[in-house]
Amino acid sequence: MSPELRQHLRTPVLTLFALLALLGVNVLLGIFFIGGHAWIAEGFVAATMVAIVIMFAMEAVKDAPITRLFAAIGFVWVLILFGLTMVDYVTR
Amino acid sequence: MSDAALRDPRIPAPVIDRPEDYLHVEQTLSSWFFTTDHKRIGILYLVSITGFFVIGAIAAGIVRLALVVPDGSILSNEVYNRMFTLHGVIMVWFFLVPSIPNTLGNFLLPLMIGAKDLAFPKINLLSWYVFVTASLFTLFVLLWGGVDTGWTFYTPLSTQYANGYVIAAVLGIIVVGYSSILTGLNFIVTVHKMRAPGMTWFRMPLFVWSLYATSLILVLATPVLTIALVLVFVDRAFGLGVFNPEQGGDPVLFQHLFWFYSHPVVYVMVLPGMGVMSELVTAYAYKKIFGYKFIAFSSLAIAVIGFFVWGHHMFYNGITQYSALTFSLMSFIVAVPSAIKVYNWAATIHKGQIRLDTPMLYAMGWIGLFVIGGVTGLMLASTALDGHVHDTYFVVAHFHYIMVGATVVAFLGGIHYWWPKMTGRLYSEPWGRVSALLMFIGFNMTFFPQYILGYMGMPRRYAVYPESYQVLNVLSSAGATILAAAYLFPMIYLVWSLWYGEKAGDNPWHAKGLEWTTTSPPPKHNFRKMPIVDFDPYDYSNEPPEE
Amino acid sequence: MSSTVGIELEEQYHDVEQQREAAKLGMWTFLLTELLLFSGLFVTALVLRVMHPDSVTAVALHLKFWIGATNTAILIVSSFIMSVAIELSRLGRQRPMAWCMLGTAAFGVLFLMLKGYEYYRDYVEHMTPFLSFRRYELVGDPASRLFTNLYFITTGLHAVHLIIGITLMLVMAWLASREGFLQKHQNRIEITGLYWHFIDLIWMIVFPTLYLLNR
Repeated sequence: MSPELRQHLRTPVLTLFALLALLGVNVLLGIFFIGGHAWIAEGFVAATMVAIVIMFAMEAVKDAPITRLFAAIGFVWVLILFGLTMVDYVTR
Repeated sequence: MSDAALRDPRIPAPVIDRPEDYLHVEQTLSSWFFTTDHKRIGILYLVSITGFFVIGAIAAGIVRLALVVPDGSILSNEVYNRMFTLHGVIMVWFFLVPSIPNTLGNFLLPLMIGAKDLAFPKINLLSWYVFVTASLFTLFVLLWGGVDTGWTFYTPLSTQYANGYVIAAVLGIIVVGYSSILTGLNFIVTVHKMRAPGMTWFRMPLFVWSLYATSLILVLATPVLTIALVLVFVDRAFGLGVFNPEQGGDPVLFQHLFWFYSHPVVYVMVLPGMGVMSELVTAYAYKKIFGYKFIAFSSLAIAVIGFFVWGHHMFYNGITQYSALTFSLMSFIVAVPSAIKVYNWAATIHKGQIRLDTPMLYAMGWIGLFVIGGVTGLMLASTALDGHVHDTYFVVAHFHYIMVGATVVAFLGGIHYWWPKMTGRLYSEPWGRVSALLMFIGFNMTFFPQYILGYMGMPRRYAVYPESYQVLNVLSSAGATILAAAYLFPMIYLVWSLWYGEKAGDNPWHAKGLEWTTTSPPPKHNFRKMPIVDFDPYDYSNEPPEE
Repeated sequence: MSSTVGIELEEQYHDVEQQREAAKLGMWTFLLTELLLFSGLFVTALVLRVMHPDSVTAVALHLKFWIGATNTAILIVSSFIMSVAIELSRLGRQRPMAWCMLGTAAFGVLFLMLKGYEYYRDYVEHMTPFLSFRRYELVGDPASRLFTNLYFITTGLHAVHLIIGITLMLVMAWLASREGFLQKHQNRIEITGLYWHFIDLIWMIVFPTLYLLNR
């Protein structure tokens, strides 16, 4: 493996281990906390994984700001869908 | 050594009459069907959506004919239901959504920002093929099998009770959604990446701003419709049950997903119309537009806030009062940017050097119709009043004032305005003015009585009604015939002008904007050399336009 | 070697940089639509949980948690191999890059095989309420059918996307078997990579939504 390639592979390797570690956390939470409010922590871990994929695997962190803006727009719109739908369901 | 020295002296040197334009550069049929030129694809779209418009209009005509008599003796209930579903589905998805963006937008967007083409020409062509395939399939389904759910496909009617080919129709609409998505994606990337040097964001014509806002909606809303219809599809085919109250599902969830798309898509229909308006008003008032940035940002504001208001379609369909109040408040807020636009156009016209040519007549009519449609929209957005007029003809009249009064009128105005650029020919001005006037009269005569009918309590979607409503219904149907004439005239004289119309110069209206700096019709790559933009938009001097 | 990497200019663009950025932004925009597509299913899952919390939990405890978790790990690894392929493509090392893409596809196929086995287990354990001829395990809990059906739709839609991704991988690997591919079309690898990472991302939401959060 050339040193140039090794240099290039730093981020992917770190991303791989970070994601696997976070998955491990979530699996442990899933096994040992059935019921209750573990879903809050699990959701938080999952959101972190998603952010890591966007920022490092999909390289949004290196890209022009427009890329991060578009990624953010996507999740903001998902929040609109969830938020306004849930206003109805949680008040029923 | 020059060319002349090589040529046989007996053969005269060729005279280049006019540079090869996009219409004449290649003449074969396959050069049209496999073109990647955005201008030709715009024409392909224009021809196809005009066809669908005619079919949808015929369906509307049949509905209006049936409503001349109160007892439903002309059409059976079933045929009536299928007819208004045909009208709704075709007009919404196969005419209104692609109308301005895919014809005028496709044609003009690269011209207006000084690009050679859209960012992805092949995807643009693919979008047309997806559109034509899916829409012809859906049309076939609607005509031969029939669907009687209305264009909204409300559950559990569509999933359990409706007869007819719901699954096939839903499939067609899912696929046609991808043509919208591809177009929206193409426009967004084009606006971001394909602008000519010097074409900054605030030098873009307002039509481009409105197309950008429209594309954002198409991209963000259409997938949710896709998934909602996929769930209807699966529910009907395999008994999914998510929308089925008998199994513990919730039919209102479908409405949430459906209107998350279908309310913003109203702005997909009207925003490009607003963009056309900004162009027409400035060109025919011959004055710099008033409040450029306000109009530009109000387009984006409409696109964003438009996603927060969908529940106003559902006030009385089972959502909670808290939810209804939230949506009602947001619906009032979304009216603000629309109002900003109307004020700015009025201020632009004020003290302008107004020419009442055909496009301006359409534009003037547009403002009137849009204000009526918009203000009645505010009435519907208040929960208390909506309780009275929900699901009545008041709603029908309201959204026709927006969808026809705003979108179709702007579409016709825009087609007239850019016709010389698209075809290189001038249409007949007297016929144009007559048609614009007829349109305004016929439209109001058709739909204003429906406001009154709705306020008196006539519910929508019924083939029969009490006799006391007959006079207004006959009036409405009579108006529809005038409206039909107003649609028919332009189809005839515009087509006629293709062969017999006077040749248009590059800029027959003395309008500003990059698209008027190239030849009419433009060459294949739009400009002979790459334009460098060093002027502001709508740079109209205060001199009167030279005639 | 990086001088051998580049893109062939298409006629509508002024320069290569414009073409590269346009393609990338186009893919991101498309992925936005994919996110919204799946979010319609996620919001449905949440609504079901709010309306029928006990039924949803009952179903979630029947799902094959370990297969779901293993599949998440498989996709994470496949994404890593894709990242390696992209880095190799930037260095102009076409042959190892093509092998990496085949490796990515192989992990995708592995995911699908496990997914298929999971469906088979669901069938054996009578967790297929949409099959009218088959007894349903949680028959005393009619509302649980909804979440089970939603599980099949969501994972099925994800599988469709994965199949598209695998096909893209194979096509790219095949195109890259010819000399000079990276000199003309390096950015196709980047674009394909974005799509693959995104399928991975969607699964990272699907797995908690269906298997984990409702336990």
